[in-house]
Amino acid sequence: MPTALSSTDAPSTAYARTSVVAAARRAVGDVGILFAFRKQAVRRRHLARTLSLVFLAITVAVAVVPAFAPGAAGPDRAFDIYLLMPSAMAGFLVLTVSSAVASGGGRELISRDQASPYPVSPTTDHLGALLLAPLNIAWMVQAWLLLGSMAFSFGPDRLFQAQVVILLWLVCSTSVGQVVAWTMEAVRRRPGGILVSRGLLVAVGLAAGVVQLTGHTLQLLDRVPTLWVFVGAVSGWGGRWWLAVGFLVAGSLVAIVAGAVPAHLAARRMPRDEARMETDQHEPRPMPRSLLGILVRTDRASVWRSVPMRRGVLVLAVGPGLVAIFGDLPWSSMTILPGLVASGGALLFGVNAWCLDGRGALWRENLPAPATALFDARAWVLLEFLACASLITVGIGALRAGVPNAQELSALVCTLTVVLLQVVAAAMRWSIKHPYPVDLRSARATPAPPAAMVGYSARLAASTTITSLLFSGAAHVPEWRLSVIIAIPCVTWSGVRLVRARMRWQDPVIRARVVATTAA
Amino acid sequence: MDQPPVVDVRSLHVRFGEVEAVAGIDLQAYPGQATALLGRNGAGKSTTMRVLAGVVPPTAGSVTVAGLDIRKDTLAVKQVTGYCPDVGGLVPRATPWEHLQLSARLRRLTGWEDRARDLLERFELGDVMNRVTGGFSHGMGRRLSVVLAAMHEPQVLLLDEPFDGVDPIGVDATFEVIADARARGATILLSTHLRDLAVQACGTALVLRGGSRVAAVDAAEMAGEEGASAYRALLD
Repeated sequence: MPTALSSTDAPSTAYARTSVVAAARRAVGDVGILFAFRKQAVRRRHLARTLSLVFLAITVAVAVVPAFAPGAAGPDRAFDIYLLMPSAMAGFLVLTVSSAVASGGGRELISRDQASPYPVSPTTDHLGALLLAPLNIAWMVQAWLLLGSMAFSFGPDRLFQAQVVILLWLVCSTSVGQVVAWTMEAVRRRPGGILVSRGLLVAVGLAAGVVQLTGHTLQLLDRVPTLWVFVGAVSGWGGRWWLAVGFLVAGSLVAIVAGAVPAHLAARRMPRDEARMETDQHEPRPMPRSLLGILVRTDRASVWRSVPMRRGVLVLAVGPGLVAIFGDLPWSSMTILPGLVASGGALLFGVNAWCLDGRGALWRENLPAPATALFDARAWVLLEFLACASLITVGIGALRAGVPNAQELSALVCTLTVVLLQVVAAAMRWSIKHPYPVDLRSARATPAPPAAMVGYSARLAASTTITSLLFSGAAHVPEWRLSVIIAIPCVTWSGVRLVRARMRWQDPVIRARVVATTAA
Repeated sequence: MDQPPVVDVRSLHVRFGEVEAVAGIDLQAYPGQATALLGRNGAGKSTTMRVLAGVVPPTAGSVTVAGLDIRKDTLAVKQVTGYCPDVGGLVPRATPWEHLQLSARLRRLTGWEDRARDLLERFELGDVMNRVTGGFSHGMGRRLSVVLAAMHEPQVLLLDEPFDGVDPIGVDATFEVIADARARGATILLSTHLRDLAVQACGTALVLRGGSRVAAVDAAEMAGEEGASAYRALLD
């Protein structure tokens, strides 16, 4: 009886080397399998379905309703927005690139550890990341902003054709962002790659600074290639529209396929950032004097020694600040930034704050520390993480905004206070209610499954945007006390919610469930 | 026994939703004694350990550790116990020394550094005491968990699967820790699937099945081929 294949026998296993097309087909099929697997794990399917419908409804509403608003397609504000549309489209591309680069190639449909026993190809990983890219607060808000701006500036006439192009632009930008991200990741994982990628980042920052300081920003924005796509979008059913559509469809397909190449390259190389973090040496420091001090220090180390949090917070802090500079954002509109940044920061770990301890949660729970001290330390570290990112953003934005008047300053300070407390209260509440076992080692890791992240993103975006708009309005009223008056009930409300979360944490049964889940 | 039990568990029940993880366990452990908890997966060993560590509250029954009611004096129980959990047990982005500092600060220890260094050396972790534990192998993590449980010389030492994936040097060092603890009069509870090691380290063995205790025997009775057969018979 033959025991091994002869040289002339073809291997019969399903995992043998196959053609590129067959492998690609298999990878696409695997995305479906993994997606279904993920879907099974969704705890509250009814809510997930409702949220999907809400997301769809909001998208349709922002794409249509502004076209019928007073002043739509008019010669004033609408025309200004119309002129800015190509720049906004370019801005979206920058966002998708930076977001995908920061998350090391995009989010994971299935975590690396969970996927390791299965034959999941890097192509599947790439396609999964592409599928999950829109499940991100920055992506959603910017996409809605783009669709809404298009509708308002263009009006109802030929709106359908225009929005088709914008939607295709969203797809194309996201796919291109993914290609750039995988390429950067492949470079980062080469010897000296971290240095190269940091050099590139500095070069891009310096170039942006030079353009801004030499007053060439407007000239640069006037020449962005997105102008060509935008002209196609507003051309109705004409040949130019078909050309733009054809270009974007082809571009998207090419980017989707091309992204698999650097994804495979990256998969063959060691993730150096993570490897460095996991072998980092930290010299002992003197013992903190207070109990809270040592708890805060431990939690702080868990945050700042994590690759996804370091990268994420850098992008979150710097990105919107640069947008504020290039967009010449006035102080009254700057109130929108802290909410955006704080929400994004909470999505890095805050919404599942107890996962910071990983499997060490069981040991930590055996330490004789009051439950309230653990809660206070975690909430404080989250607050300072979000405050740090938000202040950097506002600081960058302030470079061009000049000196604020009293009501603008008051509105900004009040927004910062309110949204930070709002986000921390929500995150600590959710962390207790819905804990997940997550290992935040990988740059691509998220603190909760994708479906949960969408829910968190949407809720944070809605609450912080409403708050920010409220204070943005107050910044126009020549009375600085108005913002303070608005802030008092908001702070009280969030404070009460935070205190209630703290009280829940003191219940040993609830705490045991959280600890056992996060350490699982 | 002349002395009262340090660990006294009576009719312990632990329920997670619909699942009853522990269904009426009785357990007494005495000073200077090491007791092994044996049983199949899901027998309730780790849940019992978690209850004794003050991590999971009991659903019903009474649990006292060093005379302290685990429900009322949870913090005090944590003060007198040292716990090596069954999974992980390490904060991934903290170094071993930072773990030790955290434990020492919360337990108000003074002059602990020499003992900590000594333990790290005994478990061959001295070279990595400033390295984040996220990159540790499974065995290294287990060894450090034993160090963390033993560092403050607790009155009750709870070791849940301390030998899992550990090399012979780590196993010997763990035996030493257990022997030291017994010598100073501490109570040790050791949960493991490795019957031979449990027999070597402990004087008494409790066999759990389906969340209940099915036998309490001298550990020596579980030794060798006969012990293996007797153990299997208790598991089925």
